[in-house]
Amino acid sequence: MSGHRGRGLGPSPCKRRSGMTVTLRGIRGNISQLLRLLSLEVLLLIPFILFVGLFEIYPILNMAYRSLFDLNGNFTLANYINAFTKPQFRFAIRNSLLFATAASLVGGIGGTFVAALAVRLPARWRNLLLSLYALPMTLSGLVVAFAFIVLLGRNGILNLLVRRAFGLPPTFYFNLYDWPGIVMVYAFFQIPLMTLSMSAVFENLDPNLIEAARNLGARSWQVWRYVVIPVLLPGFLAGMSIQFAGMMGAFGTVLALVGMAKNLLSLQIYSHSSESTYNLPQAGALAMVLITITGTALLLLSWSARRLARRGA
Amino acid sequence: MIRWILFVLLVLYIVVPLLMPVIFSFSVFWQDILPQGFTLRWYEAILTRPANYEALLVSLTVAFGAVLLNLVITVPAAYALNRAGPGWGQRLREGAVILPLLFPPLVVGTALLQAFTRPPLALTGTIWMVIIAHAILGFPFMFRLVLAAFQTIDERTLSEAAASLGATFWQRMRYVLIPNVMPGILSGALLVFAISMGEFEVTSMVAGFTAQTLPLRLFQQIRNDMRIASAITAFLIYVSFLSFVLMTYLGARMRRLRA
Repeated sequence: MSGHRGRGLGPSPCKRRSGMTVTLRGIRGNISQLLRLLSLEVLLLIPFILFVGLFEIYPILNMAYRSLFDLNGNFTLANYINAFTKPQFRFAIRNSLLFATAASLVGGIGGTFVAALAVRLPARWRNLLLSLYALPMTLSGLVVAFAFIVLLGRNGILNLLVRRAFGLPPTFYFNLYDWPGIVMVYAFFQIPLMTLSMSAVFENLDPNLIEAARNLGARSWQVWRYVVIPVLLPGFLAGMSIQFAGMMGAFGTVLALVGMAKNLLSLQIYSHSSESTYNLPQAGALAMVLITITGTALLLLSWSARRLARRGA
Repeated sequence: MIRWILFVLLVLYIVVPLLMPVIFSFSVFWQDILPQGFTLRWYEAILTRPANYEALLVSLTVAFGAVLLNLVITVPAAYALNRAGPGWGQRLREGAVILPLLFPPLVVGTALLQAFTRPPLALTGTIWMVIIAHAILGFPFMFRLVLAAFQTIDERTLSEAAASLGATFWQRMRYVLIPNVMPGILSGALLVFAISMGEFEVTSMVAGFTAQTLPLRLFQQIRNDMRIASAITAFLIYVSFLSFVLMTYLGARMRRLRA
């Protein structure tokens, strides 16, 4: 008999308590079993804690610390002051906010639409569609960039087709290499991502609830306002926060499409940490700004989702 | 009717862009609307040109490394956190999901780059750093799948049943739990593998000249030689596609287990 029985002694929060409490409980019996269980579960967490601590938390704290020094190792706030005063960085922050918002909205609305359609399909076809929409998750940004260059680049297939069909000159083409084009390419990641989160939300929407509201005499808009939207909105906002956070940090596809010709916060961080404008403390400060923006957005969205969930209930 | 038209359009939305590099990679020449000729020359170039072939080997090494690392970290952590109560257990479970949102790959890359430049851990620019970075990126995905597997099989009840029959911890693991959560572990491993094979962003930051992966090679080739680039792109699509076919199969097995 293992320590498993020992669990029955108390609810799981006992693990959180101090050694004192554990000892007191142990006096009531079974101390060895309880300790064995405690140490086993904590032992099993050690690789995880070591890994995240050493390779995620420590490097980020280290980066935050180093961002407070200049290249010669003197303490300075210049990296942060630069981030908000240098036009290059101010434009980058502004562009990133606009780009992330636009791409999240496209992805959020598109994905919600696809999910709404998916739940209305027979199970077999729904699963096929959802499996297909899981595919972009692992695709490299470069793969998607390449695909769209072939499809919609200056001499891409679709541009050629449209030009031939309407007898237009070669100067006419859909410009993949400007903001609308870049947002469209990122939609290939964002729409499927949102589809996956929203399809779970739609499945939670009980049709009986809608039926009941109708039978009680609710009008169509009332059903939406008081039944459907309160159920969907928290999930939608959660999906949007994933979208926004992802888009603030994205740069691979842009880099493949336009190089450094577009100014984004993510591209600035990338170029300051690995390209010719190498300046790690500056990159660190910009990364801290990015974390702050993403963190604030996540907090705001989860706060409003919780408020809505409470009001909807 | 409209529903089915939309369905077809939505399928095409994913399939058509992904077919482009595949068609490109098999054609001799594609400047006009239709591609011309059929060839395997560009795939051959992956295997015969040393730089491409080495990149392929590096990518495979890194992907296997990231999967192994994640196995060691994720399976015990998912087991322990599945048993942990609603207090700190819940917080850790949520943290594992929120962490990657808060710290996107870009930030992890920038941070890793400057954290391990000196001995004893002078990892920056080595293949180890790439493996670690990929393991970090894959972790939340794998963790979610393995945790879900432990939840699905109702691990506590199973363990209690096995324990009441006198099975020790290791016997329970070996004969009861691991076989039951295997589909979840395999799915997670496949996902980590696929993510690692395609990863470009962090890799381009932390990999030095010694750890050139296939996507890094692809990035150079997009500017130099579109045809080689098309073969690498197509290859990466096959990897993702195969992983997902296998994962869908494993997911179906998981559902049958639950039923």
